[in-house]
Amino acid sequence: MSSLPDPITDGLQRGWKVHGGPHAALPAKLDCDVAIVGSGAGAGITAEMLARAGLKIVIVEEGPLRSSSQFKQREADAYPQLYQEAGGRKTVDQAMNILQGRCVGGSTTINWTGSFRTPSDTLAYWGKQFGLKDFNEAEMAPWFEQAERRLNIGDWLTEPNENNGVLRRGAEKLGIPTKVVRRNVKGCWNLGSCGMGCPTNAKQSMLVSTLPAALDLGATLLVQTRAAKFELQGDKVAVLVAEPVALDGSVSGVPVRITAKHYVVAGGAINSPALLLRSNAPDPNGLLGKRTFLHPTAGGVALFDHEVAGWAGAPLSVFCDHFLHTGPIDGPIGYKLEVAPVHPAFALTNGGGIGAELAQRAKDMPRTQLMIALLRDGFHADAAGGAVKLRGDGTPVLDYTLNDYLLDGVRRAYVTMAEIQFAAGATTVRPVHEEARGYANLAEAKAGIAALTMKPFLATVGSAHVMGGCTMAADAGRGVVRPDGQHWQLANLSVHDGSIFPTSLGANPQLTVYGLATRLTSGLIQRLGARAVTLA
Amino acid sequence: MKRRGFLKLGIAAGVVIGVAGAGVALIKPGLVDGKLGPGARDVMRASAIAVLGDMLAADGVDAQLARLEVSIAALPAATRKELSDALGLLATAAGRYALVGLSKPWTEASAQHIQQAFDAMRLSTSNTRQQIYHALRDLNAIAFFTEPANWKTAGYAGPREIP
Repeated sequence: MSSLPDPITDGLQRGWKVHGGPHAALPAKLDCDVAIVGSGAGAGITAEMLARAGLKIVIVEEGPLRSSSQFKQREADAYPQLYQEAGGRKTVDQAMNILQGRCVGGSTTINWTGSFRTPSDTLAYWGKQFGLKDFNEAEMAPWFEQAERRLNIGDWLTEPNENNGVLRRGAEKLGIPTKVVRRNVKGCWNLGSCGMGCPTNAKQSMLVSTLPAALDLGATLLVQTRAAKFELQGDKVAVLVAEPVALDGSVSGVPVRITAKHYVVAGGAINSPALLLRSNAPDPNGLLGKRTFLHPTAGGVALFDHEVAGWAGAPLSVFCDHFLHTGPIDGPIGYKLEVAPVHPAFALTNGGGIGAELAQRAKDMPRTQLMIALLRDGFHADAAGGAVKLRGDGTPVLDYTLNDYLLDGVRRAYVTMAEIQFAAGATTVRPVHEEARGYANLAEAKAGIAALTMKPFLATVGSAHVMGGCTMAADAGRGVVRPDGQHWQLANLSVHDGSIFPTSLGANPQLTVYGLATRLTSGLIQRLGARAVTLA
Repeated sequence: MKRRGFLKLGIAAGVVIGVAGAGVALIKPGLVDGKLGPGARDVMRASAIAVLGDMLAADGVDAQLARLEVSIAALPAATRKELSDALGLLATAAGRYALVGLSKPWTEASAQHIQQAFDAMRLSTSNTRQQIYHALRDLNAIAFFTEPANWKTAGYAGPREIP
């Protein structure tokens, strides 16, 4: 047992109102001012601000409440406990794995702490195409500043680990600029286990920041409780029906009926539109669940003649945006370069191979560097995103096709990653593609990559950023929610999460969600007639 | 005809791991009370040997099957159902032949033959065959490499301890 304090255990001992799972039994009914679905980035910010405005809130989270004393830095524990579908969420064709949190704190509990303001060209596109004119850089800045202060977001000043160092060193040799990632951490131990829940509470996730603040102010948290559906009456939500669920997602008891003056949906992209679909929410323009984006992510593996130990140290500390800006935003797809941590199950499952080849890749893991390219989808007619659908049992699934436009970006990214990795001194480079082998030099890599069959499954592409599905827009013809976050057709329902993005971002999404949620909650507090608050 | 029928069904049903639909009702589910049934056990045993090869020697195939059952139990009900259907189908001679391309029964095929069949699925442009490949291959890889006893095969000493 770690000797470090656990703020969640302490809070529970102080008498936090937590129901569901192993905690107090779920009541049959609850009444509050605002019911919040989800407990991730959007929900956490919303919860703290509403609680500080003096409103009575109930937070509904499908996943379990887990905290630092239970975070053992082990993939075997983390994926089944903290991730959607035990880490196995996939697109409907199963060609892409989707990593998303499902626990108190949502994806903020398991993300790699990368904190980026929304890129200005993305905001400009939203202004032009979706009428979100006052979501420009200058107007968003004060909202980002509040979130940055609240969550201690700042430059990571520690030397990057070698996994990130390769990206910086290789790009520098090629004259390509990189930057240091800003992270939401306080006293980070540089362990490298962010993706399995921070065992030292350094990561300023919702789990250790806004949610404890809301709970200390009397908020009620329901865990292992899934928002099943809204019952609608006219243009309003009358009741939120939520059902207790086991860790495998199966229903485990009698539902709770929650009535509120207002309902905020913040279950994350995929789950938020799915809840509205299950509720038969009005969708006169057929937009609900559509335009769901993934930042389709390609990988490039490089071997070095020295240990990289890609599992140790802050997992994401260097990035490169150069290839987002080599052409117009709506031209051939651009990509952001980052690196991914190299833990055994994550790296060797996604890295491909069987038998002797897999054994060799395992043996090589200590000197393996893993670069990733995140494709900026949503800005071109051929990257219009996927659609959230419901399975027979009501659970959601995303229909998203890796088409030729996207796969062209994957192929270009393979070449870019190989160039940078060789420039940094790699002895062998291998794009994560089933047909690719290890290439010994750049000329060989370029020829090999040019010959690869670019098809789903053959090219390994995944996602850790799900965005869109409840598009925010200046008019009902283009969006599901209004610029203030309220649903275009439902008067007492708002959406405060990454599902409102009209496109992907070209950046890791947490800070965009924080900034937007701060702004939207400030407006909601005003509309509800409560006392004004700032986040920080 | 049988072979063509399965493939057609598989492609049409692309949504699930392998094949769903009316035909599946006649096939025994792969998972029984959440555990691998006898046929599914043969499929997974052969898959584990093909995917993990010599690395399995460390703690044996039975330990791997036990880990697989734990991993599968954590999956959502809808995924378990898809997996159960797929394993049920793969345990039949027709399913094994049509989807994996393996002529001999799972218990009789050599590791080399199964590996060759897996390699063909790995490079296939059929979504159904890819779905089967990834279900068998990825479940085995995750179950194996999350086990601390197997970290040494990847040169990983484990996480830094928190005092």
